[in-house]
Amino acid sequence: MKQPDAIVIGAGVVGSACALGLAKAGLKVVVLDRGPVSGGTTGAGEGNILVSDKEPGPELTLAIRSRNAWFEIADEIGAGFELEAKGGIVVARTQVGATALSHLAKRQQRAGVQAHELDRSALHQLEPYLDPSIDFGFHYPADAQCQPMLSAAQMLKALRSMGGEVITGAAVRAIHTKDSAISQVVTEKEKYSTEIVINATGTWAGEIAQMAGSYLPIAPRRGFILVSAPAPNLIRHKVYDADYVANVASDSTDLQSSAVVEGTKSGTILIGASRERVGFKSDFDVSILRILARQAISLFPILASVQLMRAYRGFRPFAPDHLPVIGEDGKIKGLWHAAGHEGAGIGLAPATAEIIVGQVLAREVFMDASPFSPRRFIQESAP
Amino acid sequence: MITVVGAGPAGLAAALSAANAGESVELIESGARLGGQYWRNLPNSIVVDQQALNHDFQSGKVLREKVQAHPNITVLLNTQVWRASHEEGISILHTISGGTTREIRTNKLILATGAYDRTLPFPGWDIPGVMTPGGVQALLKGNNVKAGKKIVIAGTGPFLLPVATGLAKYGVDVVGLFEANRLRRWIWQLPALLNNISAIKEGASYLHTLRKFKVRVQRGYAVVEAHSGSDGNLSAVTVARVKSDFSVIEGSQRKVVCDVAAIGWGFTADLSLAGNLGLMQQVSLLDGGTYVVVDEHQGTSQAGIFAAGEITGIGGSKLSLAEGEIAGSAAAGSETNTSKKRKLAKFASALLRTYPVGPNWQSWLKPETTICRCEEVTLEIIEKSVLDLGATDSRTVKLFTRCGMGMCQGRICGRSVNDVVARISGKPASDADRVSSAARPIASPILLGELAQIPIVD
Ligand SMILES: Cc1cc2nc3c(=O)[nH]c(=O)nc-3n(C[C@H](O)[C@H](O)[C@H](O)COP(=O)(O)OP(=O)(O)OC[C@H]3O[C@@H](n4cnc5c(N)ncnc54)[C@H](O)[C@@H]3O)c2cc1C
Ligand SMILES: Cc1cc2nc3c(=O)[nH]c(=O)nc-3n(C[C@H](O)[C@H](O)[C@H](O)COP(=O)(O)OP(=O)(O)OC[C@H]3O[C@@H](n4cnc5c(N)ncnc54)[C@H](O)[C@@H]3O)c2cc1C
Repeated sequence: MKQPDAIVIGAGVVGSACALGLAKAGLKVVVLDRGPVSGGTTGAGEGNILVSDKEPGPELTLAIRSRNAWFEIADEIGAGFELEAKGGIVVARTQVGATALSHLAKRQQRAGVQAHELDRSALHQLEPYLDPSIDFGFHYPADAQCQPMLSAAQMLKALRSMGGEVITGAAVRAIHTKDSAISQVVTEKEKYSTEIVINATGTWAGEIAQMAGSYLPIAPRRGFILVSAPAPNLIRHKVYDADYVANVASDSTDLQSSAVVEGTKSGTILIGASRERVGFKSDFDVSILRILARQAISLFPILASVQLMRAYRGFRPFAPDHLPVIGEDGKIKGLWHAAGHEGAGIGLAPATAEIIVGQVLAREVFMDASPFSPRRFIQESAP
Repeated sequence: MITVVGAGPAGLAAALSAANAGESVELIESGARLGGQYWRNLPNSIVVDQQALNHDFQSGKVLREKVQAHPNITVLLNTQVWRASHEEGISILHTISGGTTREIRTNKLILATGAYDRTLPFPGWDIPGVMTPGGVQALLKGNNVKAGKKIVIAGTGPFLLPVATGLAKYGVDVVGLFEANRLRRWIWQLPALLNNISAIKEGASYLHTLRKFKVRVQRGYAVVEAHSGSDGNLSAVTVARVKSDFSVIEGSQRKVVCDVAAIGWGFTADLSLAGNLGLMQQVSLLDGGTYVVVDEHQGTSQAGIFAAGEITGIGGSKLSLAEGEIAGSAAAGSETNTSKKRKLAKFASALLRTYPVGPNWQSWLKPETTICRCEEVTLEIIEKSVLDLGATDSRTVKLFTRCGMGMCQGRICGRSVNDVVARISGKPASDADRVSSAARPIASPILLGELAQIPIVD
């Protein structure tokens, strides 16, 4: 039986970052995934690394550290995942919206986020095709992006070069404990003896928790992204309406959407993403696509004459309080969760890994991570 | 009310048989005219000898006229279904026609979206002038345009003959017809092939005509590289003698000067709508293509949806007609007669076995050969994504390299990528991987402005 120091379940962006972090700390790590690398939500996400869309609080602290950590990782492992500090622009179209946006930006600035107010001419200089009626916004130069699938793959490549192992096509079937502590992980192929398991299974993290005899309330929140035919140089930043922030934090199960519009290196324009709680339903209604198209056109009228080429969807892993779940399980010793990042898992992956590594090795961590602790669900699970 | 999508042989036959059974039929076709791939035809304003281009032109004309004149059939031309879905027995088709969108709901749908030429990548295949036989023929039949002055026809399959014949009759200089498979494969399949004497006679008549025009049919040869001239357009191709697995026999390479090379390797079914509708698909053991699974009466895995023609397996126009007729009758709830279909299907299988695509076409590739033209992804990049980044299937390769994410949405490269990844990783592509490379939630592009204007229906 193999005896790694730690097993990371999940070869998405979060698992990859955790595995790399643990290996750098000197642990012998095995990553297990039932599918291929980046085959989960990481393969269906957009790659925004945003600080602009978060209210001051623990998640923003995590986001700020994570954004910088991405650039450090790129330096360390030699990039190869299209990391770019492209900058975000948030606009407001109404007086109420503008007031709310200014207020948010001020509080973010106090938390250390760079945000520059833009008047009409500054705004249209940065985004020439923006709807001329829009005359107020903020520029967030730190907003960045990466190619999420490659990010995970490059981190795992670095992990392998350090002696770590990545085993795909290996679904975890059972997790055994001894005196409420992790002892064994069983896949359809093999058995592993270990004392540390990192649960980085995103939307499916509840299943792993259950296998180990614990509980996590993670559920899917569906999202769609539209991809246009190549239309280079129309859109230069990540542009979205201030309503987006309200949407992200919403508790509603209904369809919501506030399009983030951005141009990509390959010339396509991405418009995403909708948010709906419909379980793992994969079939979709044209109305979702229509809403995204409308919102994108309301920001950039020129998009009306651009073709929609493709659409894809994914299922964000979300916790009832919209905070990620990072830390040791409340019941099972040695089981660490790194999941539930909802629509921000790409951006938040590196800092999540820093917390996990710090806690596993009982080292100091850059922030008080107690708001993310899985222990917050213990009461809920009690019969 | 029965809705038929696609007005090629299968769709036309389906519409007619359903209408004859008393049903009212709506026939949707993205093209400007009825006929599909096979009876692609010019508008009436252009007078040419259509018969010269298609020996079967007359029967197509009769069928088209019957469909057009039938009181039960409404024909919607220039109407593209860009997205479809299926829920609880109801199919929803989203169409776009001249900028106007519409939603059609139907509980009886016949899908007959056909197939297009299968292309294989090879060094130089992205040079302007490298085309498909279907493309060359469409230019001629549909637009009365000769694609080039000196044309090489190559690839494999029985349809290279009629294409070459049509072009030759039309005064195009066909400088060579290179069929990669050898004659001996014919002999192996002889008993099944002899089942269909008329098709054999048809083939013989093409050969006769080609001889008259001094076009030589060379079997066991393939175009393995294309070369561009100083203007960047095609100037010549390298032709080589190939073994039955398609590996090149060294020393047999020679250059043939041409300005167009029409190269086709059989057909790939257009499964975009089938995927939208969640129809069960399967990889055929005969030709490795992915097709919609149907029962004897052309019924699919979804209630109320039938499929006919090339999307259920490649078999040519006659088989497509037979399947269409069955689908139309079955959808209308009347008796079907499947004996003709069974006989034609046997012949079609024998043909597919006669013209296989050998796996070693991949030996023609160079590291810098483009595999995905839209996103300019080379073999080297794909190799890296497997060997270096740990991609284990085509979907992951696509996520890492963007191959298949461009304008054609993998229509051209999807199947080749499956094969290339399988070779590099040493693991055959799973059916799921092959099916997923033809999944296109948006079956064809639509303007964001048109999408935004779709009215809200509750
Ligand atoms: C439409 C959309 C747009 C998004 N846009 C952004 C964005 O712009 N920026 C951003 O930061 N985030 C974005 N997100 C969110 C982001 O994609 C996710 O938060 C993130 O990918 C989660 O990563 P993960 O590693 O936790 O999960 P995943 O990538 O889902 O990885 C979990 C892995 O666990 C594996 N697994 C599950 N169960 C088992 C088992 N029993 N055994 C073995 N393996 C198992 C799965 O196969 C999977 O590979 C978006 C999401 C969606 C849907
Ligand atoms: C170059 C060439 C030569 C050939 N020569 C011969 C020959 O000599 N003998 C022979 O028997 N066969 C020949 N064939 C094969 C023959 O064309 C096919 O067998 C036949 O056309 C298949 O019929 P079908 O109805 O299945 O599909 P098709 O004829 O391909 O018709 C499908 C139709 O569906 C429409 N469609 C597809 N998707 C949509 C959508 N989303 N919305 C609206 N409409 C849609 C298409 O526009 C098309 O008109 C040849 C094919 C080619 C390409």
